[in-house]
Amino acid sequence: MDRDNQQADEAEGGKICDPPADTLATSLSLLGNHMFPERNYIPSMKNEEHNDSLYETTEDQSEEAQADDVTKPETEKAECFECQESVSSPPADRGLEDATCPADSDHADSGEFVVTMLAKAKLEEQGLGVEGQSSPLLEAGAQDSPGFASHRDEDVTADSWRQHRKHVFVLSEAGKPIYSRYGSEEALSSTMGVMMALVSFVQSGDNIIRSFYSEEHTVVFLHKEPLVLVCVSSSRQSERQLRGELLYVYYQIISMLTQASISRIFEHKKNYDLRRLLAGSEKILDGLLNLLDSDPSFLLAAVHCLPLASSLRDSLSQILQKAITPNLVFSILIARNQLLTIVQEKTVIEDTRLEPADVLLLLNLIGASSAFQAGEIWTPICLPLFNPDCYFYAYISYLDPPECTVCLLLLSTDKEAFYAVAECKRKIEGAMVAQNSLSLIAKVQPYSVSQVGVSDLRHFMYKPFDVPDNHRQLTQFTSPEMEAPYSSEEEQLRLLDLYRYMHSRIHSTSRPLKLIYHVAERETLLAWVTSKFELYSCFSPLVTKACAITAITKLLRWIKKEEDRLFIRYPPKYSTTPNPSKSSRAGKSDQQDSTDNGFLSLL
Amino acid sequence: MPEVSKMKKPDVKVVLLGDMNVGKTSLLHRYMERKFKETVSTVGGAFYMKQWGPYNISIWDTAGREQFHGLGSMYCRGAAAVIFIYDVTNWQSLAELEERFLSLTDTANDDCIYAVVGNKADLTDPKAQQLQDSDAASGTRAEGTLESTEPQVFSACPTPPASPASLSGLMLHKQVSPEDAKAFYERILRYKGLDEKSSLPADKMCFETSAKTGYNVDALFEALFNLVLPFILRKRNEIQVSPTVDLEECRGGGNKRSRSSCC
Repeated sequence: MDRDNQQADEAEGGKICDPPADTLATSLSLLGNHMFPERNYIPSMKNEEHNDSLYETTEDQSEEAQADDVTKPETEKAECFECQESVSSPPADRGLEDATCPADSDHADSGEFVVTMLAKAKLEEQGLGVEGQSSPLLEAGAQDSPGFASHRDEDVTADSWRQHRKHVFVLSEAGKPIYSRYGSEEALSSTMGVMMALVSFVQSGDNIIRSFYSEEHTVVFLHKEPLVLVCVSSSRQSERQLRGELLYVYYQIISMLTQASISRIFEHKKNYDLRRLLAGSEKILDGLLNLLDSDPSFLLAAVHCLPLASSLRDSLSQILQKAITPNLVFSILIARNQLLTIVQEKTVIEDTRLEPADVLLLLNLIGASSAFQAGEIWTPICLPLFNPDCYFYAYISYLDPPECTVCLLLLSTDKEAFYAVAECKRKIEGAMVAQNSLSLIAKVQPYSVSQVGVSDLRHFMYKPFDVPDNHRQLTQFTSPEMEAPYSSEEEQLRLLDLYRYMHSRIHSTSRPLKLIYHVAERETLLAWVTSKFELYSCFSPLVTKACAITAITKLLRWIKKEEDRLFIRYPPKYSTTPNPSKSSRAGKSDQQDSTDNGFLSLL
Repeated sequence: MPEVSKMKKPDVKVVLLGDMNVGKTSLLHRYMERKFKETVSTVGGAFYMKQWGPYNISIWDTAGREQFHGLGSMYCRGAAAVIFIYDVTNWQSLAELEERFLSLTDTANDDCIYAVVGNKADLTDPKAQQLQDSDAASGTRAEGTLESTEPQVFSACPTPPASPASLSGLMLHKQVSPEDAKAFYERILRYKGLDEKSSLPADKMCFETSAKTGYNVDALFEALFNLVLPFILRKRNEIQVSPTVDLEECRGGGNKRSRSSCC
């Protein structure tokens, strides 16, 4: 994800020219006045990165700064402790933020005006589209699929709609709605039209709109031709995190349609309604957005694997390793949506590594699509970071019907290989029955933080950057179960929000940090990033700084000791290509084959 | 263990085709699991093996979404029976069958049989509204069926909140009449270049079902399986039963071997 972000940023860093603020402001005010009656909502500008410009147009140094931060262990910030008197609990509390970033308070006049208008356009317009056209369409939609679309039926004029924590919209460059997390796309078509107007207006001045801020909301844009993604969030996440999430949404769409086919479609017909192709996939995007809110894997861009005695993991790997057929490239075993083991084709892994984002999107796809009992799914799927233009064919089957917790995922490059791949499953099933693996897997539990033996430690997330001996390792992280006081969903979300805040500080574009000691209202957090790992930990509120450091040392020692259990250390390989000498660079090479089955030639 | 018993060679292949949201997965689920549950949109295609008496019938439940359209012909390859499903409350779903799905059957067997099924009959038809109970289901089932059709749970199974229409007893307007379906069936035969007289009559091959109440579901599948039985027997005679799955056989075998018309 990072790499892609960076590319995107580099691509976006274009000419610097003055934002045509006056024109923009005028036209937007016209638009705004035209569309919306006055309301009592008065947004104000909060521009965190650059105090005089609405949008970033410079080369984004933040990415480099960040990279530096990770790779250079000893900068002057290395031991920078930040003691924050706990002002109040919400991490991104404005007071706290302003105190630490004095530059924020400067507002350029024109900028502020523009933002006011933008925000008006953005946050108040939803009323308009509805009266005009929503009702017939909405009703028709509801009739077509009763029970299918609870969020889709939402009244987009209602306050409750506005109060959602995070909205995500996807539209085409022609301004056609493609997806909305809440409410029906039809009802929001004029809203999306305004969004597109913003994007293209700023674009016409050789600029790119990236984000704007109002008192309560952050609005982030991601333009991935030919799609535009917009996030309207009151979650206090950083712009960068929100853009990362939009990128996941984009990739999930790519995973279903491929970049090549989307570009092709829009080349032929600019105002194509992409919902025709995505119809039925809304659940997958809904599921992804829920995971983005609740699963830290996406924040860390790392995969969470189930802790497993290394002997059991090895035996599972061997079972997968033995059940192969030509053109099989990945065999993945999943339990309760966490990775058990993954085996990869040799030549594939030599050339490129499996990106965590691809695995996370696959897991979401499996979670969001249901097979009942003995069904075996065969479907084309694209791994966008591996190769955004080609399909793999995925075989998905549960090994333990009717519970459906242990899932086997086999990826092949051969569209016709279903029966051959299904036969691999039979072998795997047979071997697992023989070794009684299923009942062993059923006993596996997520671990408790108490096993670490540090009394004040409540929770942590640890992500090693490199597993020794294997630099092509899938990025993973480990984390114990969330236990009391984080048993309720609200509390878990609160902790995750704290982590997100720490993460945004560590990865801040303007002031990246190495180590943060943060005293919050109900807990104390410590985040630490080195060249070897990234760690977020949560302690009881009264822990001292020294205590926390000692605890971290103990924790690191414990993780080292348990490494084999917590991570997939040496992912095994197999060779299934009939003629490995033919292998050329697979993956993100420049020469993209646009035919959907181009993979065979790449392998 | 059920998983072990699944390692059997499929005798015959049946494919479900139809636009999204017509209820393909629900229909199959009702038949296989004896209950109705809200399903999510199918990705790609899902393969099921149904043990029907001594025979193994493979059923492909395909995705109706346009996104997966390109795969349809692959799922249909060598099929002995294709079930076209539409939604009786949605005229367009019948039109889509002709526009998008009929051509997918080009890869099916020459003697493939076709059924046209209007689902969601409970929304338009009072007689399809009562939950079908087990006796109706078992009455139509062939002898020797099913190791264990789980004790017919669906009388106890909680029916999911019904759509407003059927809850209130209010009937939706039926957009597709059985005559339309029959006319479509004749057009299938014409498209396939089959003679109407030597083919199965439309009366026999057009059904109206409700996956929600179970109305006519068993009748549909059982009738169809009985019709493909001769195909199974012929195939079994030709191939000596071997303990392992011969992949070539189930993919291409049907095409080569069976030219004579079925029934």
